[in-house]
Amino acid sequence: MKEIVFAGFGGQGVLTAGLVLSQVALFSGKKATWMPSYGPAMRGGTANCTVKYSDSRIYSPGQEAPDVIMALNIPSFNKFINMVKPGGVMLIDSDIVTCDTSVRSDVKVVKIPGTTIANELKNPKALNIIMLGAMVKLMGDFSEKEAIDGMNDMFGKKGKNKYEEANTAAFKKGFASV
Amino acid sequence: MAKGKKAPEKILRQVPFCPGCGHGIIVRLVMECIEELGYNDNVLIGKPVGCASLLDNNLAVDTFTGAHGRNGASMTTIKRLKPDMLVVSYQGDGDCYNIGFSETMNAAYRNEKFTVIAVNNGNFGMTGGQMAWTSMPGQKTSTSVNGRNVELSGMPIRVPEMIAHSFDTAYVARGALFTPAEINKTKSYIKKAMQAQIDGVGHSLVEVLSPCPTNWGLTPLASMERIVNELVPYFPLGEIKNKGGK
Amino acid sequence: MGDMVKGNIAMGEAAIRAGMHIYCGYPITPSSEVMEYLSWRAQEAGRQFIQAANEGEAMYMVYGAASVGSRVLTASSGLGISLKQEGVTYMAAADYPAVMINVCRYGDGLGSLESGQTDYKRETRGGGNGDYRNIVLSPSTVQEAVDLVYLAFDLSEKYRNIVVILTEGALGQMMEDCEYPPVKEVPFYDWAFDGKYTHGPYPSQMAVDLHAKGMKNNEKRALITENEQRWEAVGVEDAEYVLFAYGIPGRVVLGIVDELRKKGEKVGIIRPISLWPFPQKAFDSINKNVKGFISIETADSGQMLEDVALYAKKKGFGNVPCYFISSPPGVPKSKYVLENFEAIKAGKVKEVF
Repeated sequence: MKEIVFAGFGGQGVLTAGLVLSQVALFSGKKATWMPSYGPAMRGGTANCTVKYSDSRIYSPGQEAPDVIMALNIPSFNKFINMVKPGGVMLIDSDIVTCDTSVRSDVKVVKIPGTTIANELKNPKALNIIMLGAMVKLMGDFSEKEAIDGMNDMFGKKGKNKYEEANTAAFKKGFASV
Repeated sequence: MAKGKKAPEKILRQVPFCPGCGHGIIVRLVMECIEELGYNDNVLIGKPVGCASLLDNNLAVDTFTGAHGRNGASMTTIKRLKPDMLVVSYQGDGDCYNIGFSETMNAAYRNEKFTVIAVNNGNFGMTGGQMAWTSMPGQKTSTSVNGRNVELSGMPIRVPEMIAHSFDTAYVARGALFTPAEINKTKSYIKKAMQAQIDGVGHSLVEVLSPCPTNWGLTPLASMERIVNELVPYFPLGEIKNKGGK
Repeated sequence: MGDMVKGNIAMGEAAIRAGMHIYCGYPITPSSEVMEYLSWRAQEAGRQFIQAANEGEAMYMVYGAASVGSRVLTASSGLGISLKQEGVTYMAAADYPAVMINVCRYGDGLGSLESGQTDYKRETRGGGNGDYRNIVLSPSTVQEAVDLVYLAFDLSEKYRNIVVILTEGALGQMMEDCEYPPVKEVPFYDWAFDGKYTHGPYPSQMAVDLHAKGMKNNEKRALITENEQRWEAVGVEDAEYVLFAYGIPGRVVLGIVDELRKKGEKVGIIRPISLWPFPQKAFDSINKNVKGFISIETADSGQMLEDVALYAKKKGFGNVPCYFISSPPGVPKSKYVLENFEAIKAGKVKEVF
């Protein structure tokens, strides 16, 4: 079973990025859970969600010891860096998380210039999908095609097919950045 | 106008109210209107908590036992789910205006298409004559033994006017029972209120000023005189709003 | 394969599929998505929806809706359900069915917006004045929430009794895949008011022999107790310790027991699915030499623990100590539960009963 936390400011799309990953997992025949922070945590301006996927029954849907954490702002980095399990990965947008990231020697910090890539794509809203592309590559559980198909299937069902091309491009850039 | 002396067939027996109480007349008027409108077999009466809960098992129509004051809410769903049924909420002023103020006002606010008969006797009859929001200034009750002090408890409430002037409802009127002519007028108000419901125009409410000799400590006749002299000047009679209908 | 769907929305859809005719409610976190979803979905499915002015009004709307024989749903959380209790007891007195979802938030009074299980006692004991019980079902996955809401309408009708779905903010807010059952179109129940006085005088609460009615209610409750116990059990036959947990903690503790048993530890779990009736039959399979019962709840005090102790006594485990692990608001952390379990095994924690 894999446990991933997506964290950032509200509006950066971290909850959506997590949902896409969980849907990709389902699309690939796995089981998945998605648990948002809500209520008081949400009102504070930061948001996070926990995604788990597995080939067998998922017991706890809550945060236990994440394998990977995606942090899209400094508060999220600081909040979650000590929660990553030993040997785990902290994935950050190095354009935003500019603080000292050498906090733990047993956690690998992967830095992606997500905001720069999004600006190059002239699609600043695609930061979450770019980072998700990088995440999927890091996890190594899904092929690029599998993940893109799962993502487009999800947005398609929500009636958002028009973003398919832009999302695919963003995902590919992210996937290639790791 | 009542067509004759014969009681409506859906009244099974005399309802056991106190001597001189107005409820008996009002129940009769309501049942006459239901019969004359042809709704004897397609009607539901919402019964409140209070003296009118004595309606129990004395009417051969579906009778819903409301929670105290809450019929505005319960009649809402009954009417929405059974739009062809004539739905009549029969309530006292304590039930309808005090504890049920929120439900009564919210049903009117939504313009729910049922009819409220609000019997205003100026006190909580069933529980021993405590002060109601409709009790008059200076009125002695078991919770205002020195007379209602409006400095502390406000002026008597006029819910029909509030509804008529605030909400987009169909029909609002206030009647009384102190002469046969007034009884006939009150019946015509009740019938028009029900007709407004049947025609789908909207929410309707008829308040009836009703004597409570037992708790007022007056004879039935003196009670009627009190209504004429003390209540009618503050609670004016007549139609307050009539949006139309047949 | 289903799609990821939020617990609250899945429960709303399950109600539509169970033939719900009308929803009456008032929004409150963390239950609001149930009514937000039904606000458009009910109309789309040809059903009705009312946003009430407050929780109490919503429950009296439910009361009215039940009286004419419709399938009616309300949903709320914690204190919102407190406001409904007068309506609930009126409905119990009238033997009216309805389904009420409590997406529980943690705490007394306003409480918090966080997930919790602090409403167990109220839901399983009735909640309002008088002497009635609601059937209480508690899911631990989104799929189970769907299945239980679907079942709840049938049970509610079968016994003419309110069925409470007691779930938690965490389950209402989380997403998981689920399969929906087919859509049912259910006619209004024929025992109800039809405007024709078909069923004669309404059995008024003031007019009937209340004690005789109470005795009849006891028979109904005995029947429900016999027929409607539901639970999931793992490893209790050889367990030295049996853990009790329902809802979200239930699934967390299932995972813990799974891990521990893989290591050879003799530990079991009973996950009650029906909270009332409490699954006392589950005790029949428990190892007679069990050393302790432990209730794990997202609550300050052991609420379900009292039922565990009561039925332990009834089932011949009266001398088995009953312990409590209080998990803070939210989803219990496995590590936290394990540490507390180790402390109990080491004799560092005093039993509650």
